[in-house]
Amino acid sequence: MNEQEIIDITNKVFEESFEIEKDRLKPEAHIFTDLGLDSLDIVDLVAALQKSFGVNIRNEEKVRNIRTLQDIYDFISTIKREGH
Amino acid sequence: MKRVVITGAGVISPLGSGVRSLMEGIASGTSAVRYMEEWAGYCGMNSHVAAPAEMKDEKKIPRQCRRSMGRMSIFAAQAAEQALADSGIIISEVQPDRMGCIIGSTTGSAVSISKAFEIMLFQKDLSLLPSSMFFQCMSHSAAMNVAQYLGLTGYVMATSAACASSLQAVGTGYEIIASGRQDILLCGGADELHPSVTGSFDVVFATSVKYNQTPNKTPRPFDKDRDGLVCGEGSGILVLEEYEHALRRNAKIYAEITGYNTCGSGSHISQSEDKSIVQCISGTLKNAQISYEEIDYINAHATGTVQGDKEEAAAIKHIFGNTAPVSSLKGHIGHTLGASGAIELIAALHMMEKGVIYPTFNLDEIAPDCEGINHLMEPVEKEINTILKNCFAFGGINAALVCRKMK
Repeated sequence: MNEQEIIDITNKVFEESFEIEKDRLKPEAHIFTDLGLDSLDIVDLVAALQKSFGVNIRNEEKVRNIRTLQDIYDFISTIKREGH
Repeated sequence: MKRVVITGAGVISPLGSGVRSLMEGIASGTSAVRYMEEWAGYCGMNSHVAAPAEMKDEKKIPRQCRRSMGRMSIFAAQAAEQALADSGIIISEVQPDRMGCIIGSTTGSAVSISKAFEIMLFQKDLSLLPSSMFFQCMSHSAAMNVAQYLGLTGYVMATSAACASSLQAVGTGYEIIASGRQDILLCGGADELHPSVTGSFDVVFATSVKYNQTPNKTPRPFDKDRDGLVCGEGSGILVLEEYEHALRRNAKIYAEITGYNTCGSGSHISQSEDKSIVQCISGTLKNAQISYEEIDYINAHATGTVQGDKEEAAAIKHIFGNTAPVSSLKGHIGHTLGASGAIELIAALHMMEKGVIYPTFNLDEIAPDCEGINHLMEPVEKEINTILKNCFAFGGINAALVCRKMK
């Protein structure tokens, strides 16, 4: 899976699960302050990412450090590379 | 005791969104009942008719409010918004701890509960449960969702008494405002269709099963060919307000609530009983300090079941004889369950305002076991000053409310 595919799939999660318009999905967008997610949304975000990427990240400590969309792209990229 | 008036109303019903759609449908003798093709796959389900409400404009509710709402809570939020707009109340201008809501339903969202159990029982993977699923399933889901959506910070309560839920909500709101504890309460109920909902009546032979191919012919309250109820869905919300508070802001007042009573039958969980209905209505009239002769219109619970209609007719006959005109709206909109008391009360208030009473749809020939009361077969124009609304529910729960036109 290349980087663009990771971006596309992640952005699709934000469009479909959180009804966020495509043009707001910029890599530097802060998922709390810019995109308006809250703590409950993070539970659903993790579930949606798990389903979309076929990974198990629910208990990953690094999830807590995610702040921006770019953080998610990087995190998924690392997880995929490490073969989780 | 404070006086309590109704200053706003909102409805999502099988006849459409808004009080106007509801009343136009009732006035024109429209049935909202249809054949439920999507239920064909349920083994053991005999009734395949229902009165669905249309879900629309739900995305106008912000996602973070909507995510905790099942179907019925969306109906409730939309009806509450309508009611609030109708009342002219601006929430920011009200003392925050003096305004709240009481909204009842049979359960939480039946659709969401079903989805949750599909995950729990078949997939057995809790990580698949959306974070907001439980909030859609809670028994006070409609009440808390309306409160969160509108930012209400006074009393927030849910009266869960199946088909008497919303009339209990209005009655409880009346008692709380009368006691001086709150100034404004949005009161009513909501419920939604699901095969499990119709199924709960179907298994005890309370649903209509003979009219699957002619859905507009059922339910048939008080009719000789009635064969059971038809489930509907939606929400009805009324704005209850302390009288002086309403006067100070020059509000339009639909009516004053002057009496309420609720009671249990103590005799049977699914069969209503004339004796306890008499007790409930008599207690309501006593609470309202009026005699039976002062009731100008009875909006009956009458769902079209063989047993329930007979018991209600007997109770009305015992108290009112052949005096007060009686009609049921279930023939038009089906049984909207926990929402029915509020939706039908709103319709009755509009009949009072217009001076016209609409008849029971599908009542073509009065059943011998429902005779002796003043059934309406045609619309009647008359001055209506005082109305009685009945609601009865599984569990042997009865509720009745009296409203009087403001002079």
